[in-house]
Amino acid sequence: MDSLVSQYSRPVHSAEGPSQDEHQELSQTTPPLSLQFSLPPVAQSSAWLRAMTDDYSNPNCPIKIAHGTTTLAFRFKGGIIVATDSRATAGNWIASQTVKKVIEINNCLLGTMAGGAADCQYWLAYLGMQCRLHELRHKRRISVAAASKILANLVYSYKGMGLSMGTMCAGVTPQEGPALYYIDSDGTRLAGNLFCVGSGQTFAYGVLDAEYSYDLDDEAALELGRRSILAATHRDAYSGGFINLYHVKEDGWVKHGFNDTNPIFWKTKLEKGEFSNVTADLE
Amino acid sequence: MEVLLGITGKDFTIVAASKAAMRGATILKASDDKTRALNSTSLMAFSGEAGDTVQFAEYIQANIQLYSMRNSMELSPTATANFVRGELARALRSRRPYTVNLILGGYDKIADKPTLYWIDYLASLAPVPYAAHGYAQYYCLSILDKHHHPDIDFEQGMKLLRMCTQELKRRLPIDFKGVVVKVITKDGIREQEYEDDVKVAIP
Amino acid sequence: MASGYDRALSVFSPDGHVFQVEYALEAVKRGTCAVAVKGSDVVVLGCEKRSAMKLQDTRITPSKICLVDTHVALAFAGLNADARILVDKARLEAQSHRLTVEDPVSIEYITKYVAGVQQRYTQSGGVRPFGISTLIVGFDPNDKTPRLYQTEPSGIYSAWKANAIGRSSKTVREFLERNHKDNMDREETIKLTVKSLLEVVQTGAKNIEIAIMAPGKLIEMLPVEDIEKYVESINTEKQEEAASRRPGRTPGTGTAAILTRGPGEGTGS
Repeated sequence: MDSLVSQYSRPVHSAEGPSQDEHQELSQTTPPLSLQFSLPPVAQSSAWLRAMTDDYSNPNCPIKIAHGTTTLAFRFKGGIIVATDSRATAGNWIASQTVKKVIEINNCLLGTMAGGAADCQYWLAYLGMQCRLHELRHKRRISVAAASKILANLVYSYKGMGLSMGTMCAGVTPQEGPALYYIDSDGTRLAGNLFCVGSGQTFAYGVLDAEYSYDLDDEAALELGRRSILAATHRDAYSGGFINLYHVKEDGWVKHGFNDTNPIFWKTKLEKGEFSNVTADLE
Repeated sequence: MEVLLGITGKDFTIVAASKAAMRGATILKASDDKTRALNSTSLMAFSGEAGDTVQFAEYIQANIQLYSMRNSMELSPTATANFVRGELARALRSRRPYTVNLILGGYDKIADKPTLYWIDYLASLAPVPYAAHGYAQYYCLSILDKHHHPDIDFEQGMKLLRMCTQELKRRLPIDFKGVVVKVITKDGIREQEYEDDVKVAIP
Repeated sequence: MASGYDRALSVFSPDGHVFQVEYALEAVKRGTCAVAVKGSDVVVLGCEKRSAMKLQDTRITPSKICLVDTHVALAFAGLNADARILVDKARLEAQSHRLTVEDPVSIEYITKYVAGVQQRYTQSGGVRPFGISTLIVGFDPNDKTPRLYQTEPSGIYSAWKANAIGRSSKTVREFLERNHKDNMDREETIKLTVKSLLEVVQTGAKNIEIAIMAPGKLIEMLPVEDIEKYVESINTEKQEEAASRRPGRTPGTGTAAILTRGPGEGTGS
């Protein structure tokens, strides 16, 4: 009713000249960053989403979101190491063992996936698009600071609506050198040397923190990344599958394999004598 | 368990903020700077809901800077504090308020006096001689009540801050990884070196 | 003559003109002159300043040179009031850019933005184009290369070594074309700016404004006394030149229009 009244009670001249929105449009030379999604007609989107997806409290919930991860990234003198596992779980069900949790935004920027798989995949792909547009508009590659901020601002605009993601942006640019940012769906964005994200983060931190140093050489850094993920896949039920390993350098990233954890585990155990709680001989 | 502290003295304001960035049971970063300089004489320290804090602080920072560019003149600390409060109050009555607690340290170049404002997430604003947010209030306000005087010099101010951080290290159950210390004087804002690894013993 | 094709902004004339935009350019030509010159490590903005009325307070009358951000300055020619709106939009964008990308704007980016806004006002209903051209100068963050761009009411933007806009800009540009050298130092650059402005400003230092930008430094507005010194040294140079070119004639008679002092004065500066 109110809208009906206001529709007919506008002053005669109010339609003259550009409106507030038109003014905005006139000074906005680039399209707005955030997409306009239609939202479900519910009062509290996050509560609604929880009711629909919370597998723990309601095993019969209609939607099961893929969760559970271990991802890590750290800065060192030779660039940045990014490593992840590859398991996706929906509740107690292993939905996939071959998920690519490192997302190649462009040839020198990587993103990692933890939390809702769809959220991460979608928004990091979107970030890739924005980064390319930035490159075209500004005639130079986007800084990692700017790329991570685009993502942080974006997820912040959906805060409280149920997005679930914990990601890291890693890249090397001439202006910044190696740069690493942590972004999560709360809207937190932190620059740092070392981050582990996901349900297996504590296990990865344990191994990584003990032997991390900025002056690691490339080989040792790759091995440390691999070993930290292995530690997490061993102890965290929601992590496993393959170890996905990347090395980001000045002239772009290099992939160092997508390797099954099982042989790596046995190799580590038998050759180095680690994991002594697992008995190898059948008696 | 974020710590924010503010102390004024004769010709300075000290603002201290804890360096730990926590998410769940993990400290993600032990060198986080929870402060933003708004202009050459105002500094804001913030704590509260993850995401909201930095978003709000940088939004305010951009607007204060825009004011300086538009008017070729900087907003005074008092005006800044009232602007911040206004923005927080406006957001409080919107669909999604900012859950942010603030301490605003400044130096009023016209009155030639240090200033300190305490603002909470419900947009209460109070000018104070010393301030704290979070659990730090319970430990530090009594210390400051006893030992603070408005005409202390900078060394005495730093000594007071040391008393506060020592007590927090002693009794706060979670390690807040030390504090970033910023000092605002008539010459502007500077970061103050601060020894975080001083040992404490519980009597 | 325009036979109705200038009534609405968004209507082309049959031969492809948008008259309103061309009228805007006319407004620019009537505006006071603005000059910008790049040196090796500075960029200098110069403006013709309208004479103040007797009762006008010159201290608080706005200048034609505005700061968009701490590292970007903008000078304009045309309608003052239009410029204020455009500059404000640019300032907002500069801060917004800092907020969203964490970096200050590059000079090219803000130029493109200003030109973009100007273009939008040539293609939207119910609005009128900005009656101004702008010169945007400064240094990109962490960069020592001076930048100079020009924008026009149509939304065109272009990069320059030195350029002039506004009243008699053609004369000044031709002067700059004749006298601009690459890699000028700070003194030479300021001098060339003042000299080029003196081509159209007859009244000397009190009607000239000079701003200097250097990498990593705040904008510097040159005090009137300093401008005066430049004007004097230029004048004496001109007299000497005139004297040597026409031997036998008394010095100064050839340049009577700008000769305000005795020939002996100001030689030292």
